[in-house]
Amino acid sequence: MLDSMISGSTTSLAADPTDILSEALAATPGGFVELRWHKKETRGLTVEKGRVDNATASEHSGVGVRVLEQGTFGFASTDRLEKGAIVRAIDQARTAARASSRARRERVPDLPEVALARGRFDTPGVDETRGRSIESALEMLLEVERGARASSTRVTSASTAYAEIYEEKGIVTSDGAKVWTRTVRPEFRVIAIAAKGGEMQRGAESVGVTGGWECLFETRSPAQLAEKAAQQAVDLLDAGYPEGGRTEVLLSPALVGLLTHEAVGHTVEADFVASGSCAAGRIGTRVASDLVTLCDSGVSEYHVGAGGTMFVDDEGVAAVRATVIENGILKSYLHDRESAARFGVAPTGNARAWEYDDEPLIRMRNTYIAPGTSSMEEMIAGVEDGYLLDGASNGQADANGEFMFGTREAYRIVRGKKGPLMRGVNISGTAFDVLQSVDAVGTDFRWDLGSGHCGKGQPAKVDAGGPWLRCNVVLGGRKS
Amino acid sequence: MSTRTSPGIQAAERGHDTAAQREREDALLARCESLVAEALRAGADEAEAFATHAEKSLATFEKGDLKLAHVDEGSSIGLRVFKHQRLGFAATNQFDTASLAGVARNAVALATASPADVANRLPDARPIVQLPPLVHAGLDRFGIEEAVDLGHTLLTRAQAFDKRLSVDGANAGVSRVAQAVHTSRGVRAVESDAMVTLSISGMAIAGADVGGFHYQSDAVRDPACVQAALHQVVDDFAGTSVGNLGAQRAPNSYQGLVLFSPDAFLDLFVAPVLSAASAIAVQRGRSALAQRLGERIGVLGLAIHDTPEDLGLAGAGSFDREGQPARRFALVEDGVLMGWLYNGYAAAVENRTSTGHARGGARGVPGLGAHAISVAGGTGGTRETLLATLGRGLLVQRFSGSVDPASGDFSGVAKSSRWVEGGRVSGPVRETMLSGNAYQLLARIAQLGTVAERVDGSARAPWALVDGLSVTAG
Repeated sequence: MLDSMISGSTTSLAADPTDILSEALAATPGGFVELRWHKKETRGLTVEKGRVDNATASEHSGVGVRVLEQGTFGFASTDRLEKGAIVRAIDQARTAARASSRARRERVPDLPEVALARGRFDTPGVDETRGRSIESALEMLLEVERGARASSTRVTSASTAYAEIYEEKGIVTSDGAKVWTRTVRPEFRVIAIAAKGGEMQRGAESVGVTGGWECLFETRSPAQLAEKAAQQAVDLLDAGYPEGGRTEVLLSPALVGLLTHEAVGHTVEADFVASGSCAAGRIGTRVASDLVTLCDSGVSEYHVGAGGTMFVDDEGVAAVRATVIENGILKSYLHDRESAARFGVAPTGNARAWEYDDEPLIRMRNTYIAPGTSSMEEMIAGVEDGYLLDGASNGQADANGEFMFGTREAYRIVRGKKGPLMRGVNISGTAFDVLQSVDAVGTDFRWDLGSGHCGKGQPAKVDAGGPWLRCNVVLGGRKS
Repeated sequence: MSTRTSPGIQAAERGHDTAAQREREDALLARCESLVAEALRAGADEAEAFATHAEKSLATFEKGDLKLAHVDEGSSIGLRVFKHQRLGFAATNQFDTASLAGVARNAVALATASPADVANRLPDARPIVQLPPLVHAGLDRFGIEEAVDLGHTLLTRAQAFDKRLSVDGANAGVSRVAQAVHTSRGVRAVESDAMVTLSISGMAIAGADVGGFHYQSDAVRDPACVQAALHQVVDDFAGTSVGNLGAQRAPNSYQGLVLFSPDAFLDLFVAPVLSAASAIAVQRGRSALAQRLGERIGVLGLAIHDTPEDLGLAGAGSFDREGQPARRFALVEDGVLMGWLYNGYAAAVENRTSTGHARGGARGVPGLGAHAISVAGGTGGTRETLLATLGRGLLVQRFSGSVDPASGDFSGVAKSSRWVEGGRVSGPVRETMLSGNAYQLLARIAQLGTVAERVDGSARAPWALVDGLSVTAG
């Protein structure tokens, strides 16, 4: 069994929820049962143009029950942390499984025996963040939003938002997991709108971590983030459009994060692999330049605070680092217990559920490309005609590895010299083709996707990042 | 009938509701009333409680096999308070006395910390025109076994269509939702709804050729329509996915006409208009259309309506998140921008009444948005007629990218797209990027198809041929 890792204060704790889960489990002997008490508390504030649009505190808690009965899974939930209610939910889940088992062609294999976690696992910053008054956060938002609007006469509107998600989970399984975890994930975002001659442009900055307030603003203060967003909106008013087409680019750590998450990460989720993603059947083969090592980890590698940090997944499995690509060779997929059994490997701790009434799915945590050896100056100097791209917006990817993601800023590079700001564009490519084209990997490392969510039926807090990286993609520029 | 509103405003009718449904609705309203009273006792000047109760039976399929049978039931309640015109909101899914008292205390405490805003006041109660029943009696018997059967039929039909199809995921289920709202200004309304939902996603695979991912879904209320909807979902998914095999790069980049599916047209051109038509966006200086009310923003014949009375769409309902009447609303008529969408807050800023566009659930402050968008068909004829008009160029079935609502600039990948030569589809293309400006291109719609098709059970729109797009071949 995994050792308990406790950090942060142990004050203000409620009773251990795993005891009552264990009692309910003992009262309903049978096959595999997984009980997850999951409390989610969110505090959210939004300010726009000096007005508070949102001042919210909410709680959503209950017990999710998953059973394996007659070779198939059944799921039910209850919003009560009470033995009787949990026992009834176990019965409902078993009934659902039995009622549906006739439609199951291939029975779920026995789940693999793994070292299931037992004990307390707290990520840093829980008590510090929860102890901070909501008033201080609101004061900060109002001040920073005012500052963004005052920064230029061209800024017509600004908004700021702060949110924190506090989660407490108790996980007990019939094969030995007994875990109590606490996590807090705060995030901050600022948006500025600038206008000139009837045209509007938007600048945005955001940051999100697993950790406390100090960790959230460790690199840049709220005022600095607001200044950057306002400046970006104003500068984009006079910026031109990049030209579309296949081109050499330098991707910032945020965009490298999107690349690793959207273009590669989803295609190596084992459920997607089993459906025939482009990563299927390619373990042990070259899928990237030998400069590329790509991992997904529950631990915040290289730098503290990654937004998807977790020590134990929602099946009670340690959220270990999975090396997906090592020096260009595909080494591993991302697994939950069921897919690990089917693939004959150990689970990687990637099973995650968004709320108590959601079943665990295979999800990423913190996904990254490991730092390399090139300096920024060397990478720019090596570009004959291309672009430097920064600022991530949204992204999506297909099973065939074709991806799309948005950038906020582009700079033309001609003969190794960086030019003026241009408007951001969406870029596209095929995951492994792009990774094969990587010819330089920077030395610096940054997590940069800790705000926002990944969507896969359910949301999930994840993070992604890496160093600067040089590769070839398709730009969706305005002219062609 | 399944909708009941403020006593004295409109008589309650029941129609198809069962005793269990009535009991749930009564319980929800009682909880709302109790929480509003608790909030007023805790020091709120005004209070609004919104509660939902949902039951779900869902069969999830993965890799062509049953993954999970999911049965679920739960409630949530959200409380919005104003104290000295300061906003606070709290929500919970715990309905014991202590939890509800905690919600009231938290909401009032948040309001105490917030700055005052003169527009922070709840809307008055207004008459609600009740829709016909949203809950069909036939769905009473629909549970997890029926969900499993439907999901199995989805898979079987897809597998029979073409062996190269790989179904990544499929869901079939039924959800029954009741929602109630009560405010200290006399708003009191409750409504129940029930829908069968169907979805399927995946791709076709032929050796090393993995076709582009595709997704299709629908949501229907009438049990008699479920089989037809299922067939349509599978056939559209399967046809498009198989058609994605063998994709090549587009022959050339160009600037000009592109044919959009109803789905892609809604994403690229209608969604930004809805964002810019938010009265709050106009009031806050972030609407690109702020100065264009009453002006022509699109071509002649372009009509965009919000149609909450359309029982064929998922967003149908008698009232909005604030208990205000939800009515048909003409946003764009013959290309002219006709009005802004208001919720209670935006209306209060201008001392007018809400248009019934408060949106959202029990776990957050009411937002602002449309219920069930319908874009009217035009005179362009069928998809085949539009292909002939296009002649040579790109057909886009799905857009994967982003539109900046402030500027209207968009850029992204044309998914499940086809190259058209001589007015006919010549084959699938990949890695093709689209860019342009949504607001400018509304005026360059060359043709709208004659029929407005249902999109995912949530909107209606026709095929659209639009000029001025930048198409970049990969």
